[in-house]
Amino acid sequence: MTDTLSSPSSPSGDPIVEIIDTADERASDTIEKRTLGLGFWLCIGWLVFICGLAALAPILPLKDPDENFLQFEEKESALTGRVTEAPVQPPYGPSAEHWFGTDLDARDMLSRTIYGARVSLVVGFAAIAFGMLVGGSLGMVAGFVGGWFDRVVSFCFLVLLSFPALILAILITSLASRSLFTIALTLGILSVSPVGRLARAATLVFAEREFVTAARTLGAKPSRIIRREILPNVMIPMSALALLGMAVSIVAEGALAFLGLSVEKGSTWGKLIRTAVNSTSDLESAPWMAFTPIGFLFLTVMALNFAGDRLRDYFDVKELSI
Amino acid sequence: MVTASVSIRCLFPFGGHTLIMFTLRRIRLLPLLSLLVAFAMFAAACGGSDSSADDEVSTPDAEESDGGGTSEEEAPETTEATDGGSEESEAIVTETPDDSGVEEVVGGVLRIGIEAEVDGINPTGSALSQPGLLMANQVFDSLVRFNTDDQWVPYLAESLTPNDDFTSWTLKLREGISFHDGTPLDAEALRVNFETVIADPLVGLAVAPYYPAVDAGAFEIVDDLTVTYNLLDSNANFPTSLAGQLGFVASPTWLAAAAEDPTLNQAPVGTGPFVFESRSEDSVTRFVRNEAYWGTPALLDAVEFLPVTDPDVRANLLLEGELDGQVTTNIASTETIAEGDPTVQNLLDDTGDESFVMLNTSTPPFDNILARQALTFATPRDNYNTLIGLGINRPADGMFTPDSPYYNPDVVQEADDPDRAIEVAAQYCAEVPDGCTDGKINMELQWSGPSVVQTRIAEILDEGWSVAFNVEFQELPQDSHIQETAFGLYNAVTWRQFGAPNPADDGVWLLCRTIGGISLNWPKNCNESRDALFLEAMASTDEARRVELFKEISQKINEDYTYVFLYHTIWATSLAENVKGVCNSQSPEGETLRCTLNGRMWYDNTFLAE
Amino acid sequence: MMILLLIAVSMLTFAAMSFLGDPLFNILGPVAGDTENPENLAKIEAAKEQYYLDKPLPERYARWAGDFVTGDFGVQFSTDGQPPVSGLLKERLPRTLQLMLMAQFLALAIAIPWGVVTASRANGVVDRASTFTSFMFVSLPNFALAVILFYIFALKLDWLPDTYHATDPFWGLTHRHRLVQLVLPAFTLALPGASVYQRLLRTDLITTLQEDFILMARAKGVPKWRVLFRHALRPSMFSVITIFGINAGALIGGALVVEIYFRIPGVGTAIVEAVLREDFPVVLALVMVIATAFVVLNFIVDVFYTFLDPRVRR
Repeated sequence: MTDTLSSPSSPSGDPIVEIIDTADERASDTIEKRTLGLGFWLCIGWLVFICGLAALAPILPLKDPDENFLQFEEKESALTGRVTEAPVQPPYGPSAEHWFGTDLDARDMLSRTIYGARVSLVVGFAAIAFGMLVGGSLGMVAGFVGGWFDRVVSFCFLVLLSFPALILAILITSLASRSLFTIALTLGILSVSPVGRLARAATLVFAEREFVTAARTLGAKPSRIIRREILPNVMIPMSALALLGMAVSIVAEGALAFLGLSVEKGSTWGKLIRTAVNSTSDLESAPWMAFTPIGFLFLTVMALNFAGDRLRDYFDVKELSI
Repeated sequence: MVTASVSIRCLFPFGGHTLIMFTLRRIRLLPLLSLLVAFAMFAAACGGSDSSADDEVSTPDAEESDGGGTSEEEAPETTEATDGGSEESEAIVTETPDDSGVEEVVGGVLRIGIEAEVDGINPTGSALSQPGLLMANQVFDSLVRFNTDDQWVPYLAESLTPNDDFTSWTLKLREGISFHDGTPLDAEALRVNFETVIADPLVGLAVAPYYPAVDAGAFEIVDDLTVTYNLLDSNANFPTSLAGQLGFVASPTWLAAAAEDPTLNQAPVGTGPFVFESRSEDSVTRFVRNEAYWGTPALLDAVEFLPVTDPDVRANLLLEGELDGQVTTNIASTETIAEGDPTVQNLLDDTGDESFVMLNTSTPPFDNILARQALTFATPRDNYNTLIGLGINRPADGMFTPDSPYYNPDVVQEADDPDRAIEVAAQYCAEVPDGCTDGKINMELQWSGPSVVQTRIAEILDEGWSVAFNVEFQELPQDSHIQETAFGLYNAVTWRQFGAPNPADDGVWLLCRTIGGISLNWPKNCNESRDALFLEAMASTDEARRVELFKEISQKINEDYTYVFLYHTIWATSLAENVKGVCNSQSPEGETLRCTLNGRMWYDNTFLAE
Repeated sequence: MMILLLIAVSMLTFAAMSFLGDPLFNILGPVAGDTENPENLAKIEAAKEQYYLDKPLPERYARWAGDFVTGDFGVQFSTDGQPPVSGLLKERLPRTLQLMLMAQFLALAIAIPWGVVTASRANGVVDRASTFTSFMFVSLPNFALAVILFYIFALKLDWLPDTYHATDPFWGLTHRHRLVQLVLPAFTLALPGASVYQRLLRTDLITTLQEDFILMARAKGVPKWRVLFRHALRPSMFSVITIFGINAGALIGGALVVEIYFRIPGVGTAIVEAVLREDFPVVLALVMVIATAFVVLNFIVDVFYTFLDPRVRR
């Protein structure tokens, strides 16, 4: 029962969820507590914008992300005097044609980054959705039922947390297939325990509240109590965690991709960054290849973190879990 | 019987590393002309008056695709694209390693950067990739070497004499040679080497198909220094198969010990100019001069090999003076070196292996020639050569470069023809509706990774193929990739092989008899009439007839649509200014020998000038 | 509890490796699949026996666990079986530890002055800017941060070396000393940590600064900076110290990516290489070492926390 969300002893291996929580617990300035603030809406705006771009990419007037837009140059032969067209060696820098330049294979960086968002966002979303579904329900039931079930589930959460998360992800993705599904599932499994622990802690708090006791005395079935009384209340802190968790999942996918272990086909932000920084000289001569996806990734992760943080302050999640 | 001298290396396509973290960088287009001059000069330097190479400069390139043109045009026209082009192009031109005027210096340590670490340096059991062969070259002598005209020359052997129909060759060893451990080099040592190789489950695959069973007399000892190899087929150029890994002779005492304790595979014992001293995984392997060498002792005190997987890092180490030389197929990093330090000598050679897409003819969809044709037509070879070959590597139409006598100008690698691809794919889909989805043929492209450059290659190919194919990607760790390829569990792979100095030695990749549990004929494509041509070429001493036969073989390979050739791989060796004498290696009879072969070199006459 | 945890972690890894990988293949190479050839089949059988692969999973686990506890980490599954895992660990672990220690040191070195400055001017311009900055550092994935720092300091400004040489001497201040080569990777790991420490320190300092003894010192005319560093800092370090421990755990994951990017042949690189080679004992041994470090560290933090938590003390 002393197992609280913010306890620094929870070894999630994820600095963002755990540490920022603790950090801002006392740091949050009380002035802005009850309004979400402009920053929050800016973040949501960016998230909507990037999700919209990703979802609508095929119908937007974007360039084909896979096409090699080789540019040719007319050159006169010094030997024969004949003029022929020869390809100019990519990558090409930013221009009116390619706003963010092209990659080594003359493909449009902007459109690759937007298409990359599709995979990165879907992985992030699917992972946290899985975590919510599995971790959330396990945690809630464990918190509500208690007893040996609670102990087993809590232990399982702890085992998962003792595993350096990235290493587990590497293990699974390298040994199993590297499809979108496996990667989303792997990251989903990794998000089970942080989510589960929060759900359990929150359930413990609510299970002792009057309205639950009231429902129980009225003879409501446990399943009904969980669904109708506890779930809606637990959802509030969970929504904040979902945003933070999605950020973590997107970063984790990026790290996997950075190690060459993300999806085999299609671009993701991590894969784009890896390709761009693989060679030192590429990074030096064509930094736009790396900094375009880094920029998008950074803004998205920051927006998710900030929005999640604000949301948590707004709902005062801390008080709930203590 | 011919066993390819480059064969085993190719078990490890695209080098031998686990974590291939290299890429071809963007560079300015290098004038093709100067490169060709480089080839020519290199050939002239190492190959005396090799007229075929000189011709290269004026021979129009067969490739006549859009924007391609001939080599004469392309060369100067790209010069303008390069700012300060001519100076830069000068830089990569191979300084003829004509070191005759330089005074030889005894002593010093040569440090060479290699692209990957190797599992072991046992010629009878380790599948040696290029770095392995380079190291093995220093510690082992091969029975036969190539001279500058690519003709075989006895080296550790004193002589090789065939019988009348070339089905049996008698090899006589030189007298008084012993291994580094004191074991004498004799017929018995050869027997142990031969039997160990042929029994090896992997390396043996390249040998066994050419011999009767060991107990049926594949190998006979005549006297203490003389042995006879009995072959299944007539082979007029059998000795060329003893110029590579299979010609290295290792100490039988060491082989026996290594069989007991595999760690000894890391500490080879041969007869070569250098003696193995120490080796630690992921760091330096060091060889020191063999003072008791049977020939002229080496000039260098020691040679050290450092595995550095990243070509950019390797190039920097060379520029910083940390390394005296490096070997790579990454032409971009060679250009970095040429730009960074014009005094560095760069030896370029693209007569070795070819890069291509290989199709498995034993399983759908590529068991059907229509699917293979469609893929060939859909292959974006121009883009591949621009983006991956950087316009520097020469596009390949087959296994021979235009300067090879066996080159067949009529063989053209069809590609970049999406309309025809769609048409043929439609025919295939009409025949095999199950193999298609939405009118496109379903297939899988497999490669070894994770590798950024391999992924780029896959994406470039897919961009072209997608007009007629639904391409699934499969990136496997290198070992699994090779296993699946060896067992025929693939549709299409990117691969690199061929280019043996004696093209008959490449038969190991093509003959029907190398199809089996593990197939070295990876596509499992058996073509009896092609085999007949190969066997005839092996048996023939008539060079004109051989030329004809190999032209015909090229034609047949082209018509089978099993390989989609992309470009001729360039092996580039960069050496610091003061490294001299790399091309001074001579046979005991005083013939000058070929000094680089698929990135392999011999350092017995190399020295560090003051 | 700790031991139970470790057993569970090792079982999970063991099971994952056994179900998903084919260790035989690492020992024998392509031959492992050639069951039709009787000679190769014999080799396969021999290898299975040698590495206990023919035994049922629980027995193999028991054997491995027995060996592991007695310090025998097994041999790598390569054709040569060399070098043994413990040798690999001995070689790689110090490099990773050097990196992590340096990262932690840098993090504190940055966080303390930063925290003190922001706390002394809470809600000022500097403070607000620093809130944003620290948020940025925490939001930047370490691989992105690595690229950015590398680009600025190694490529553009050329202040720091861009390569790590495992054979160079450690102590020294030139580009050819590993101490200098480690600065960039360590900074990459340190910056997010420093941001977190700074936030904590700032909060605690603000609280401390309102305590009576501080007001007393100020009233006595002690200079402000002296109050901050001499009187207020020490009692405000509590949260930082607890988080310090946890962050060391989080660093393990980060170190993996950073090692790969900066090409430091440490434990992280070793684990990625081993996973890609499907080198069973190496992965197991490394995962166990990391998990043990992780669990032990958290245990220590827990104990520490219980001893020092003001709520607990009260």
